[in-house]
Amino acid sequence: MTQRTRAPATPLCRLVDVSHAFGPVRALERVSLELRAGEILCIVGENGAGKSTLMSVLYGLLQPDAGHIEFGGRTVRLRSARDAIERGLGMVHQHFMLYPELSVLENVIVGAEGPGRLGLIDFRRRRAEVAALLARFSFGLDPDRPVRDLAVDARQQLEIVKLLYRRADLIILDEPTAVLTPQEIEALFAMLRRLRDEGKSIIVITHKLGEVMALSDRVAVMRRGRRVAERRTTDTDRDELSTLMVDGRVETLSRQGWARERTTLQVGSLSVSGEHGKPLVDNVSLSVRAGEILGIAGVANNGQQALVEALVGLRSMSGGHIVLNGRDIGDDDIGARRAAGLGYLAEDRMRVGLALSGSIAENALAGMESRPAFSRAGWLDVAAAKRHAAELIARFDIRTSGPRQPVARLSGGNKQKVIVARELAAGPSLIIAENPCWGVDVGAIAFIHRQLMEAARDGAAILLISSDLDELFALSDRLAVFYDGRISAQFTREQLDVRTVGAAMSGRASGAVPATSAPVSSAAPA
Amino acid sequence: MSGRLRRLGSLSLSLLVITLVVLAIPGARENAASFIDGAFGGRNRFNFYTTLNRSVLIVGMAMSVLVSFRAGLINIGGEGQLVLGGLCAAIVGAWLHAPPLLVMVAALVAAMLAGALWALVAGAFERFAGLPLVVGSLLLNYPAVLFASYLVSHPLRDVQSGSTQTPRLASEVRLPRFDGTLLDMGIFLVIGVIFVVILLERRSVFGYRHRLQGYSLPFARASGFPIRAVHFQTLAGSGAIAGLVGFIAVFGVNHRYIDGMLTLPLYSWTGVIAVLLAGMLSWLTPLTGFFFAALATGAVGIERAADIPREAAQIVQALIILFAAGFGARLHSRRSGDAS
Repeated sequence: MTQRTRAPATPLCRLVDVSHAFGPVRALERVSLELRAGEILCIVGENGAGKSTLMSVLYGLLQPDAGHIEFGGRTVRLRSARDAIERGLGMVHQHFMLYPELSVLENVIVGAEGPGRLGLIDFRRRRAEVAALLARFSFGLDPDRPVRDLAVDARQQLEIVKLLYRRADLIILDEPTAVLTPQEIEALFAMLRRLRDEGKSIIVITHKLGEVMALSDRVAVMRRGRRVAERRTTDTDRDELSTLMVDGRVETLSRQGWARERTTLQVGSLSVSGEHGKPLVDNVSLSVRAGEILGIAGVANNGQQALVEALVGLRSMSGGHIVLNGRDIGDDDIGARRAAGLGYLAEDRMRVGLALSGSIAENALAGMESRPAFSRAGWLDVAAAKRHAAELIARFDIRTSGPRQPVARLSGGNKQKVIVARELAAGPSLIIAENPCWGVDVGAIAFIHRQLMEAARDGAAILLISSDLDELFALSDRLAVFYDGRISAQFTREQLDVRTVGAAMSGRASGAVPATSAPVSSAAPA
Repeated sequence: MSGRLRRLGSLSLSLLVITLVVLAIPGARENAASFIDGAFGGRNRFNFYTTLNRSVLIVGMAMSVLVSFRAGLINIGGEGQLVLGGLCAAIVGAWLHAPPLLVMVAALVAAMLAGALWALVAGAFERFAGLPLVVGSLLLNYPAVLFASYLVSHPLRDVQSGSTQTPRLASEVRLPRFDGTLLDMGIFLVIGVIFVVILLERRSVFGYRHRLQGYSLPFARASGFPIRAVHFQTLAGSGAIAGLVGFIAVFGVNHRYIDGMLTLPLYSWTGVIAVLLAGMLSWLTPLTGFFFAALATGAVGIERAADIPREAAQIVQALIILFAAGFGARLHSRRSGDAS
């Protein structure tokens, strides 16, 4: 929370009245933006607001249809990313661009190694340069370690080092905190502030307003391709920003416990073996009652995904049992589990949750096609399927031209609504929701959350796996944290605290709590 | 929608190129005329019926390919399934002594079973030995085709004729022909296949699962479809259609099994191309199949009239594939560019 007053920084780069259209869709409309040395600028906006398009224009990947870009007061044309990099721009993408088998040093210099004498690389000189850079910004990276051994936060640091090595003055980070624990986020922010104080211009694209308030000096709000507002961070607050982002459309959620006595899902000593003998899920027990929302937190690849796949039936388990509504479904196939009341909001929407080439009607029917309402003796009632889709479109406010539209043409939020609509319409007693709001705009997030809460109110048990702590904190009755294939800590709603949960996510909870169905209080902060 | 437009676009583009190729050759107008005459003309539209006759086999194979491709199963073993179907039909037809109708039905059933079985073998290799279907189905063509060659060269050979072929079918068991043409009633079988395929695809639970499985297998799995059953049923159906085409070729067109009669004209492979050109749309596939048949018979006409080798038609086919692929790829890259 460094709120500083400093002299107005000088603009390194200006975008002036930049517009860009994809066919009839106007992705950017007369957007102007100033990027100043020694400043952290956050760009916020819903999905599809034009943030990514704007950055693509700045990075030379797209050409503006109108308007221009200035560097140091002179208009330039950026024809490619190479042009942009030469002007001192650098981008840390959401998905890292690293070679896992190469060392830190090799990853830093790759592409910038230049032709040395006899076509050889002067590793000694390069190593000295990189070591100096690491020391100057006190990055704790070992130049000789292979990247595959690095944790996510170290990989992100490495991406930043790569840019610094290429003398980037303007560093763009796209959703940099999505993969980090709270502690790692603080470390990242400290690093970004340091870079700012060294005179770099930092641009962070995000949709997490808490981080905007904590990190930025200035914030620009995008909505429907326009830059609708720009504020000094000291002059604004979260409420104003979220109102600006969504044009005042967000409804606030009120939440209360709807948990009942009856246990819907009972998982006992479930294990899933991995490829190298080390279990992906190690003896996990948990239970969810009807009307209860059990949140599951954890850094990616700590066993949550494998647990979900085992519960849904996509992956076989090596031990344990799964009881749904009093019946053991551990040996059932997916169809039988769905018939027993399981609903699944898959994280991988594009491949698992939806058949993209299929129409909305086809997607909305999946899993229910053999129910009497939709078929008789193997023949589909096509009209009923179409009616069903039309009903869901209306009830879930899916923006589309009709049930026959291919799902691939829908926006991200509407795609997810199709999945939510289908799964909830089947009337499940257990809903497994895996990052249900990932990459979805703010309006749709509120809608999906409300749907999940209404389902809980109506008696469904919900298992919510999410990488977004805000979401987990907002919805969960109880929270279990996964670390290394086990539940490392459990919290009741009252016990939730970002620091403690974060510590448990990084495996630093002292004395992990044995996993029981009863809510157990968690360990002290690390 | 744009998929259809894309196919129609590349179709018309390739037709344009064909026209240009034809026009580039000296005496172009006569060539074009003899091409059209070769494909559709002749006395009493004789050549048109020849084209139709050929399209029966090509379209039949195309439907076999379509059924598997739509479910995401790359069964390119149509040739082997077709040959085994034809062979079984010929054996039943020549050696079963029974009332004609019974012989025909038995031969049809045997042909379809043989085709289905051969496709299922490829499926079993994938399921139980991990051999990808595209590889397994392709490789299984060779034993089938060579085994058939062996049978008609030795044990089943019609010794009197002196060629590698089975004995001629008795005239009462042959598929009847339309008067004055070589076109036989097999066309109704293929029309029936087209009808059943479209009906199943649009109206049945099986067709629904089959189609969505083709769109995304992980989706089908997570939705609880019986994907393995759909997988094998699809392969059996695809192979059975190929077998049925073999029956038509034996009982309708040639009245015996002649070595190479199903493989040399590339019916199976032309069927694959027809399906791809039609963008896997079931209603468009018969049209593209007919188009390729016309191309082949028309080429024979040109060869007769202008001494242009009929292989030129294959060059044209290759051009069409290039355009279909290239045009599709460009459109695809343009569309994925506007991701946000």
